[in-house]
Amino acid sequence: MEFNIVNPKTKSELLRAIRKETTFRFGAGCTDLLMELKKKPVENLVVINLSFVVDSRFTGLKKLAKSFWLGAMTTAHTMVMNEQIKNDFNVLYESAHNLASTQIRQVATMGGNLCTASPSGDIACALMALDASCHLLNDAGVNSVVNIHDFFLGVRKTILKKNEVLYGLTIPTNKKQTKTVYSKFIKIGTRRSMECSVVSLAYHIQVNEEGVIIGAGIAIGASAPTVRSALSASGFLIGKNIHLITEKEKEELACKIVSYAEPITDLRATAWYRKEVLLNISKSIFE
Amino acid sequence: MKKEYNVIGKSIPKHDAHIRVTGKAIYGHDIILPNMLYGAILRTLHPSAIIESIDLSEAKKLPGVVCIITADDVDVNNIGYKRDHPILKKGDANCIRDEIAAVAAETKEIAIQALQLIKVKYTVRTGVYDAFDALKESAPQINKFIGGKFENKNIAEKFHYEHGNLEQEKKNSAHIVSRRFTLPRMTHACMATSNITAHFNSVEKKLTLYSSTQVPFLYQRDMAHALKINPSDIRVIQPVIGGGFGSKLDIHPFEPICALLSMKTDRPVQILYSREEEFIASPIRQPMVIDLTAGVDKNGNFTFREINIIKDNGAYTSWGATTPFVIMQAFSSLYQLKACKFDATAVYTNNVFAGSFRGYGNPQATFALERVIDLLAEKLDMDKAEIRLLNANKKGEITGQGLYFDTCGHKDCLETVISKSNYHTKRLTKQTGRFKNGIGLASMLHVGGGAKIYRSDGCGTILKIDPYGYCTIITGSNEIGQGSETVLAMIASEELGIELDKIKIINTDTDVKPWDVGVHASRTSFVAGNSLLGAITILKEKLNKKAAELLHTSSLAFDYSDTKIISLETHEAVALDKVVREMHFSSPNELAIANYFYEPSSQFQDKNFKGNVSGTYAFASQAIEVEVDTYTGNIRVLDIHVAQDVGKVLNPLLLGGQIEGGIMQGVGYALTEELLMQEGKILNPNFHNYKMLTAADTPNIHFYPIETIDKEGPYGAKGVGEAPLIPTAAAIANAVSNALGLEILDLPITPEKILQALSLQKQTTTLKTNPISK
Repeated sequence: MEFNIVNPKTKSELLRAIRKETTFRFGAGCTDLLMELKKKPVENLVVINLSFVVDSRFTGLKKLAKSFWLGAMTTAHTMVMNEQIKNDFNVLYESAHNLASTQIRQVATMGGNLCTASPSGDIACALMALDASCHLLNDAGVNSVVNIHDFFLGVRKTILKKNEVLYGLTIPTNKKQTKTVYSKFIKIGTRRSMECSVVSLAYHIQVNEEGVIIGAGIAIGASAPTVRSALSASGFLIGKNIHLITEKEKEELACKIVSYAEPITDLRATAWYRKEVLLNISKSIFE
Repeated sequence: MKKEYNVIGKSIPKHDAHIRVTGKAIYGHDIILPNMLYGAILRTLHPSAIIESIDLSEAKKLPGVVCIITADDVDVNNIGYKRDHPILKKGDANCIRDEIAAVAAETKEIAIQALQLIKVKYTVRTGVYDAFDALKESAPQINKFIGGKFENKNIAEKFHYEHGNLEQEKKNSAHIVSRRFTLPRMTHACMATSNITAHFNSVEKKLTLYSSTQVPFLYQRDMAHALKINPSDIRVIQPVIGGGFGSKLDIHPFEPICALLSMKTDRPVQILYSREEEFIASPIRQPMVIDLTAGVDKNGNFTFREINIIKDNGAYTSWGATTPFVIMQAFSSLYQLKACKFDATAVYTNNVFAGSFRGYGNPQATFALERVIDLLAEKLDMDKAEIRLLNANKKGEITGQGLYFDTCGHKDCLETVISKSNYHTKRLTKQTGRFKNGIGLASMLHVGGGAKIYRSDGCGTILKIDPYGYCTIITGSNEIGQGSETVLAMIASEELGIELDKIKIINTDTDVKPWDVGVHASRTSFVAGNSLLGAITILKEKLNKKAAELLHTSSLAFDYSDTKIISLETHEAVALDKVVREMHFSSPNELAIANYFYEPSSQFQDKNFKGNVSGTYAFASQAIEVEVDTYTGNIRVLDIHVAQDVGKVLNPLLLGGQIEGGIMQGVGYALTEELLMQEGKILNPNFHNYKMLTAADTPNIHFYPIETIDKEGPYGAKGVGEAPLIPTAAAIANAVSNALGLEILDLPITPEKILQALSLQKQTTTLKTNPISK
């Protein structure tokens, strides 16, 4: 495994590197990249190392007027340690907290988890349930915004063009009327740490004082070529009173979630198992 | 009255703990010799193929490549327990590990690059990947180096054992249960990958091997046979070893290959495995299919067991083929048994071959046996604890196989875990809802005082004390992480009154240390401990004489304490170092040195496998509580209660480490660990998909040592290393069965198998095997 590294330290150096290099990959925490290059070396590859870029928007977390800003270089560890994430977006906290190991969480980044576009990306799955918006930057310095639901195209494929980099994302603040948030990341795997999700389910459900669901995001991981948002399941919940959901409605919700699943059989589980478990844990949302 | 000890029985941290955790330990991977080359091995692309040609021309042109060897370039003997394993393969590739060529180069990167330039032409054949298929008349002969001894061309080894009147006991049985159990491939996954550095000195014609072997003296002999040189011209030096667990009992082809590269190049050569190579090319726990039929009379007494085992030997025969030595002990002698008939057959296939692995077949046997005991109890409508207590082994018992239990803590172990785990209450708790809890029991019997499978099961010690009062123990036994160095230092400290930090252990060099058969069979503390005690007795006789002279006493009764020798008669004391100086420097000028060779009282078994094979026997019972998530099939092990007859606790801290480590290996075997193979290829050669458990998965482990003070053991101690892993999978399976009312016939018990079984529970109660693991 051999490659050259460039280490841009400012945004303009970063943009210049993107313009200059032809065969390049971005390296953030490099936890996936090094594994990939070890398996499949690329000749004359340049890794544009993002970890030295000094830019508070790229690396930081910030509360904005109607949203929460998460720089692409935010590490899983930083997310775990952030009080606001823990309080307002528990699903994100849990997805980061259960990711890999303590050591990996120190370096693995939100941007890396998204741009790797693994079907089992835990942070990506949680962010989908949170209806995040992705902020992209191209080599000319132009910003654009794309909803996370449109970000993934397939296994390890995103809408990012060669001259674009994910800069950060925004998570909409919980609604003013929200009284209680049911926010959880359910990760199914064999081990309790150092595990890659066999199936995952992320949900972020906002409920007002009367118990009426006023916001709902549900996403599934490791069940389809990309993490997927179960939009019809989220829509199904809006307006329902959380205390009055019937058994039949729970079943209906689970079926709606599972309808988004197109799992494969691989070493870790069969497609049958993935669907079966997804159905079971979907039913458990209101248990 | 129980004797009070100063050091024995205390929690002394491991002697080598500090160098290991601070990164100062020198492992095989850290060795750099002047002018050293790096070796790499080209393995076959196909598990069954004809090797038509090997073209080295491009690889040889690569700058930095010093030497490339194939089978045509070397004059060597086969290796392996049956000498059926060529070091480099010629003509046939029979297994995905097969070594075709080896490169020595100036850097590791160049060596690997050279491998990619070697062109091998194969004609791919249809392989045989199932032992039952290999036994069919139509199957091709897989290994051509042995044959003719058995009725089938693909049988590598057979074992037959019996005692008692089987037919009569079948008639005496009120209930008979028959089941087939399927056991998976598990790999050792040592923290340090396999490694060797070979240095052939062409002037002196001597070969030095820096090797992680567990059996340096047998290794020296086997290596010499392979390389056609004199064993004493080989010096084996063991750097710090990063995990053994049985994996380093055999010699493996990469080791003589490294030696050959050094002999060809006249330079030191090092071969280090990558983690992927470690998964592919290091040994495994033997997979097997066990057919077990067992009976019980109307009162719950076990009557007979009939066992037929088909073991997947892989393409070559290792020590793994001999695991029936231990397997038959479990079947013949765990719980009192009137009659037993045992057959085991190791069958060649084109799969990877097994080696020895902690427990040596016993976890497989115990899983099948303890599952069937639960089923027999169900047939009788008898309590599962009661049936075990009724049949438990007892002190003074001589089993059908001839094992003699001079001490026996089996019943104490069972009673302890039954009571401490609150077994009876938990067993009957009715479960509702998503999570279902269950509790299961299992016991085990294992050798606890070595195992006489070689002509000697002995160990030598040379002991000296220097003029400064420091003690050096030169022992034949070696340290592979199990803590034997610490135990030996504690024994010397106890007996000689010398502080632990003044005791040095020399145990890594076959040119220096006396003979020992090796680290296996949970034997080291027992055998090396007894050997050291023998040397201490001899040395004390010399020291006592000089002390008596210096203290002007005629009595030779002395106490050794606090670096002093104290007369029990006059209560006067003299410093130990002074006594040694006087021995050395005054007439008749004698060294404070002694040597002793300890041979256990055990017997070599006869051709019918009968005889008292070990100096003593260890017993253990476990009661394990699990929680099964019926939504996901995940099993969470909550509490493990383990009681083990350890003879005597020598060091609670180290013992606890052995217990916890063993149990976690057992939990992995039960629930998650399986090397998956398809058509002879390994599908999961990485920690990503080979699911070793982590600290986060560790259950609460409650350990209750049972002390039976065996007269054969040092201070009464028995071997402890393998036992904690042996009954764990069986107890977990029994617990899961208790939780869900399912039969469990194979391992590992994966979430997928649980969910499949739950969904089929109404039609059948048998767990399905994951098709991918076949």
